[in-house]
Amino acid sequence: MLRYALQRISGVIPTLFVIITASFFIIRLAPGGPFDEEQTLPPEIKANLEAAYGLDQPLLVQYGRYMRGLLVGDFGPSFKFKDFSVTELIAQGLPISLTIGLAAVLLAMLVGIPLGALAALRRNTASDYGIMGFAVLGIALPGFVIGPLFALIFGLYLGVLPVAGYESGQPQYLVLPIVTLALPVIAYIARLTRGSLLEVLRSNFVRTARAKGLSPMRVLFRHALRPALLPVVSYLGPATAFVVTGSLVVESVFGLPGTGRYLVQGAINRDYTLVMGMIVVYGAITLLCNLIADLLYGWLDPRVRYE
Amino acid sequence: MTSARSNVLEIESLSVRYETPDGAVQAVADISLEIAAGECIGVVGESGAGKSQAFLAVMGLLAPNAQVAGDARLRGRELLGADPRALRDLRGAELAMIFQDPMTSLAPHIVVGDQIAEVLVVHKNMSWREARAQALQLLEQAQVTDAARRLTQYPHELSGGMRQRVMIAIALACDPVMLIADEPTTALDVSVQAQILSLLKRLMRERGMALALITHDLGVVAGLADQVAVLYAGRIVESGSVRKLLKNPSHPYTAALLRSMPRIDAPVDEPLVAIGGQPPSPRQPIAGCPFHPRCAAAPSRCTTERPELRRIDGAQVACHFPRSNSASAITL
Ligand SMILES: Nc1ncnc2c1ncn2[C@@H]1O[C@H](COP(=O)(O)OP(=O)(O)OP(=O)(O)O)[C@@H](O)[C@H]1O
Ligand SMILES: [Mg+2]
Repeated sequence: MLRYALQRISGVIPTLFVIITASFFIIRLAPGGPFDEEQTLPPEIKANLEAAYGLDQPLLVQYGRYMRGLLVGDFGPSFKFKDFSVTELIAQGLPISLTIGLAAVLLAMLVGIPLGALAALRRNTASDYGIMGFAVLGIALPGFVIGPLFALIFGLYLGVLPVAGYESGQPQYLVLPIVTLALPVIAYIARLTRGSLLEVLRSNFVRTARAKGLSPMRVLFRHALRPALLPVVSYLGPATAFVVTGSLVVESVFGLPGTGRYLVQGAINRDYTLVMGMIVVYGAITLLCNLIADLLYGWLDPRVRYE
Repeated sequence: MTSARSNVLEIESLSVRYETPDGAVQAVADISLEIAAGECIGVVGESGAGKSQAFLAVMGLLAPNAQVAGDARLRGRELLGADPRALRDLRGAELAMIFQDPMTSLAPHIVVGDQIAEVLVVHKNMSWREARAQALQLLEQAQVTDAARRLTQYPHELSGGMRQRVMIAIALACDPVMLIADEPTTALDVSVQAQILSLLKRLMRERGMALALITHDLGVVAGLADQVAVLYAGRIVESGSVRKLLKNPSHPYTAALLRSMPRIDAPVDEPLVAIGGQPPSPRQPIAGCPFHPRCAAAPSRCTTERPELRRIDGAQVACHFPRSNSASAITL
């Protein structure tokens, strides 16, 4: 297991390097630059600005400088938020985005797995149909529909939770965004769990477990569940990607000051450093989640450790 | 049988049926048999005859959509439809089964030592420490080489034969009074097979364990079984003592089966003859004797009237025109 873990971990750094390098050059391929839309800018001022930010240098030199900065945690200055470094912007927004993202994934697993297992165990009963019906809805309804709906119900009609906005240290502002973000993931995980648990329950080794006279609980938790969770763990990687992109929508629906808006604004403004900073951070988060998923997978299924 | 025998397992009119979208499947039809302590019954028949289904029904391990009818009593206690909790106490302890497919019958994520020890923890209230120590002995008893190292290995690290032996260790962990062994030695090479069979023999002799041995290998049956039941299309077509059946089969199917199987003790010049045709599909039962389309004799009566089991020459035979002793073509 240790060898397997080291192998997986050592794969992360090169992958991240490739992502950063590819993004750096691809972004520059897009037409336009950070100072283009301010049409009134006289050419000599624009040149000065570009010189100040090092944009007049050859691309490779800029790339080398950027990478050197990254090594010491410096994402460079933002081109549009003039008084802030990208590091500062991300440090402001990331805690919120990270909190709702992680909480959503966690919630999705904590709710989705038991729901799916319940549906499998109560196959073809009302609970099964109820859960699977909910799952179809959860997957089909996009966040920008569910979010406002939740805000309406819980914020306006019931008045138990804030409709939108954020104040630090007030976790109730995060409840609806987290649930909105988690809902499709819950639905998907429930379906995955149900399908794979049904399959595992029919397998020969579960029959062996029952032949040993084990209680249904022991058969389920010790013999069936771990192998049945393999597809769920494989889904964790894509789920993170989903939550990362989903948080863009949810943050804007609920007016949260997370990092989601920077990615959109940064891309529109050609704020190269800001977009790069977001890509580095989200890329690292996604890789990290995939790494955790890989390690979990190795723990669940001893066979993959030897490949 | 006579009441003087202490039957460990009695199966009476056991049927297994599935209602599927493309029609009903009669996997097992009206099977009755008895196994006494210290005795071995060999259960033979072609693939799909219902051998596994019959004994999975006894274990209560059939798919949820299986419809089971009849009785199965373990030392007088009814198993079919019994309280699940009571059934659990018997399974793995008094009543154990070795499954046909060793490659997929072990949990992939649990080391084999714990898979064995678990039975002891659950049924014998042992601590995991004690149980693991016992598991080591069970592995050694099942002829597993390098047993101490195997304890901490996962099934995928073991060969099919090794996994088969782990299955055997699990089944024997609690000294069952009744062991059902579904092709227990197919994955094993001949010398290990002989060792396992002699182990089973010893357990039958020393502890009075009863054994239901499902196999294609009539050589194994000849060496181990006291009784034989021949299954065809879900039914017993012939049953009786192993000597009688292997020497003087009354049912043409038994005779054909004997001719089709290689045997160590058969004369070398005796040709092997495959049984022509296919067994009837369990989805489409045929009228009359289920064997008649493949039977050399098959007069018209066989195509219309299904023969019931009846006593002939000390065996039970379901045939309108059983082979007489003198007609036996096989010389042993
Ligand atoms: N879940 C099921 N649904 C429908 N039919 C089934 C089901 N399980 C088994 N059967 C049918 O029951 C019949 C008997 O199968 P069984 O496994 O008992 O055969 P077998 O004698 O053990 O054969 P083999 O020597 O290949 O192991 C087969 O025709 C099979 O198709
Ligand atoms: Mg079988």
